[in-house]
Amino acid sequence: MLSYIIKRSLYMIPTLILISMLVFTLIELPPGDYFESYVAQLLASGETVDPQKIEFLRREYGFDLPPYQRYFKWVIGMVQGDFGYSFEYQLPVREVVGDRLWFTIFITFCTIIFTWLIAFPIGIYSATHQYSWGDYGLTFIGLLGLATPNFLLALVMMYFAKEYFGTSIGGLYDPEFIDQPMSWAKAMSILEHLWIPVIVIGTSGTAGMIRRVRANLLDELRKPYVTTARAKGMPEFRALMKYPFRMSLNFFIADIGSILPSVISGAEIVAIVLSLQTTGPLLISALQSQDMYLAGSFLMLLAFLTVIGVLISDIALAILDPRIRLAGGVSR
Amino acid sequence: MPEKKRQLLQVEDLHVSFAIQGGRVEAVRGVSFSMFKGTVVALVGESGSGKSVIAQSILRILPSNGTIDSGRILFHDRELGKKPVDIAGLKTRDPYLYQMRGGRISMVFQEPMTALSPLHTVGNQIEEALRLHRNMGHAESKEETVDILRLVGFPDPKGGYERYPFELSGGLRQRAVIAMALICNPAMIIADEPTTALDVTVQAQILKLMKQLQKKFDTAILLITHDLGVVANMADEVVVVYHGKLMEAGPVETIFNHPQHPYLKALMAAVPHFDMKKGERLVSLRDMGKEKVNAVSEFSSRYRVRGFEDKSEPHLVVKNLGKEFITRKGSFFTAGEDSKVIAVDDVSFEIMPGECLGLVGESGSGKTTVSKLIMRAISATSGQVLMNSKSGMIDVLGLNGPDLFEYRRKIQMIFQDPFSSLNPRMTVKSILLEPFDVHKVGDPESRERDVVDLMKLVGLDPRFLNRYPHSFSGGQRQRIGIARALALHPEIMICDEPVSALDVSVQAQILNLLNDLRTELGLTSLFISHNLAVVNYVADRIAVMCRGKLVELAPREVLFANPVHPYTKSLLASVPYPDLDRLLDFESIQYTGEDYTSTWPDAFKPNENSGLSAIHLENGHVVLANENVDLRELV
Repeated sequence: MLSYIIKRSLYMIPTLILISMLVFTLIELPPGDYFESYVAQLLASGETVDPQKIEFLRREYGFDLPPYQRYFKWVIGMVQGDFGYSFEYQLPVREVVGDRLWFTIFITFCTIIFTWLIAFPIGIYSATHQYSWGDYGLTFIGLLGLATPNFLLALVMMYFAKEYFGTSIGGLYDPEFIDQPMSWAKAMSILEHLWIPVIVIGTSGTAGMIRRVRANLLDELRKPYVTTARAKGMPEFRALMKYPFRMSLNFFIADIGSILPSVISGAEIVAIVLSLQTTGPLLISALQSQDMYLAGSFLMLLAFLTVIGVLISDIALAILDPRIRLAGGVSR
Repeated sequence: MPEKKRQLLQVEDLHVSFAIQGGRVEAVRGVSFSMFKGTVVALVGESGSGKSVIAQSILRILPSNGTIDSGRILFHDRELGKKPVDIAGLKTRDPYLYQMRGGRISMVFQEPMTALSPLHTVGNQIEEALRLHRNMGHAESKEETVDILRLVGFPDPKGGYERYPFELSGGLRQRAVIAMALICNPAMIIADEPTTALDVTVQAQILKLMKQLQKKFDTAILLITHDLGVVANMADEVVVVYHGKLMEAGPVETIFNHPQHPYLKALMAAVPHFDMKKGERLVSLRDMGKEKVNAVSEFSSRYRVRGFEDKSEPHLVVKNLGKEFITRKGSFFTAGEDSKVIAVDDVSFEIMPGECLGLVGESGSGKTTVSKLIMRAISATSGQVLMNSKSGMIDVLGLNGPDLFEYRRKIQMIFQDPFSSLNPRMTVKSILLEPFDVHKVGDPESRERDVVDLMKLVGLDPRFLNRYPHSFSGGQRQRIGIARALALHPEIMICDEPVSALDVSVQAQILNLLNDLRTELGLTSLFISHNLAVVNYVADRIAVMCRGKLVELAPREVLFANPVHPYTKSLLASVPYPDLDRLLDFESIQYTGEDYTSTWPDAFKPNENSGLSAIHLENGHVVLANENVDLRELV
């Protein structure tokens, strides 16, 4: 088992190297660089530009070097914890991302838990009561959630939150806490605002998850070992939990790998609508202004999270499923 | 009944139906029978006869769309109360049912692989019943589980407790399922086709085990099966059902010696058995009638394999054929070691023109691999395959490109599973046209005519051509498969277990059809099967394979009368006959486990000085034995 985990972790290295190359290429693809768009912006607003200063900045940040050298500079810096410098914010990338990253991870985490809490009981109910009114009703509600555009739901929810709970519009906390250090009051304010993005981002994922839990469980419910368990005299619910449900978890754990990035990247539009202090809007603006280090580091971060998510799900699967653990006659 | 025994279970006028789209289907229509304590009752019938539904009704584990419409199932169990309880009348979640299931009535299932959860250890799944019914702690229940595993013949019961089902062989898995059924010492066990999925030698071992344990614990067994051989060896009483109705019931002696009902008589005549004379036909349950035989003669002139005036030269020669499968265990970073599995090991045989060679072996013996090698579906590691075709000698393994393509027309295959071997999205017509298309044979008109002829040849109405495979029964699908194989006028036909997925009655039809086609068309064929009786019915000579090696080859009468190799002997000794005078000799059946050669005489094992080689006895009888062995020692 230990050797499996080590082996599996080592697989991450070539994967991440490949991803970093891909990310770098993607960022390099659009013509021009940050300084060109900066100059264009200055000219557009009627200001004069000192070409020498721009040239100096270019050299300073290594933009005159050939791409592969810049690539290595970037990668080596990242390994050492230096994610480069954001031109737009005039700050190191690490400081720009900073808090936002934690908020993002926090919201993502809450959303995943929310999705599971809702989707699992409903999915199990739908599967065990297939084609009943309950199944149809819950499926209908779930599909409504899937079909409603997230930004619209976000606007509606904000309105109702303001109307009935007096929650301030937008943001993750009340305006007076901006740039304040973390305190009890600020934490409470975050919790007060948190439920809107969690529900908004969670609904669409929940609907999909319900369908998948239902489909997977239905497949398993028809398997003969379920009959075996019933023939043994197991109470229905206990048998359901121990055998088919446990089997249907496999798909779901395999899904963790893809759930992390999809929740983070899927939430960008919603984050802008709700003016959340998360990473989504930052990424979008960085891509727009060709803020190369910021965007690149960001994409790398997402990739890293994905790879970690897949690693977690692989290890969890191996723990949960002996067929994977003992595949190929591995000794116990 | 030798002595008066206490009544245990009474099924009275049971009616069960299933809700399906647009109505209800009655699966069981008024079945009554009773079981006594410590007796074995066999419930016999074809698939769809409702026998499994009766079992599910007794345990009340019918699928959710099934309901018991009327009738009573009375269970007299002293441990659960003085009075008999009507199981059919209880509510779905009645506590009595949970006590009864697994505790007083338990079940053994057909597929030991799918009946066990792959995620839980065997021990965990067995002791669960103890925990549920006996309120035992972990240490105590583990001890009992290990005990019962020892009782059912696990070679290493402590280790077996920790195993997962996929780590065990089919026979051991079924032993685990039996252990699970026995652990609470129930009054009754329902065994639903407990040995159908197993090899014949393993089947004999499992039957022996069930018989032993049944005697030991005085448990009643309701044995559900379609195999009359199993019935003859196990049952005290027999209940025959057909289409949900009871046809005949009585003590096993009466049933076998004086069958009354025409259905039962027909069922018995439909099973191939070893005492059949050459040329004797099976009587199929629902005969196809006369027109089919005429059809065969009508078309045989066109489909007949021509050009073999000289029948002394073999049609197909297989020489020292070998196949190794290599599985890589390495990973991205480590080279890993390759593990080699020898699937086919130095196999040689010949098939004469127009002859049918039977290839017998248990699962994993390499018989299907041999057929794939001959078909060039996979490539051989060593050896030679020669085909003496009309167009001259062909070195099959050396063929490439257009020559290989041309070869495919000469040899065709009939597959085991009539359901997955036909594309469900193609009509029968397009299935039958495909070979012509692929090989660019004929024009649209002639193809049309050929397809109609093919349908008649296999005894199907040409009007069915536009239907899809799902609207046919298993037997009819197999006919379509045969028609497809015949489309290009092959010289050699390979039949890979063509009837093992079919019911007894349909099996007889298909075997008769294959026999007719073979004699009428003069086809050379290789018939692969695990069922000795079936091979005996169709084959002229029989080859026996064991773990990749061909251990014995002889004309069929010689092989059955005078088997030489110990493996052939054990195979023959394991076949249950539907005949009360020739019961299995349970004493001689032993659990061999992995080391299957341990009971073989030295003459059949290689030693340091000499390996194994094929030794020719008289009458074309070949046996694989030690090179230095004395011929007289063998016979």
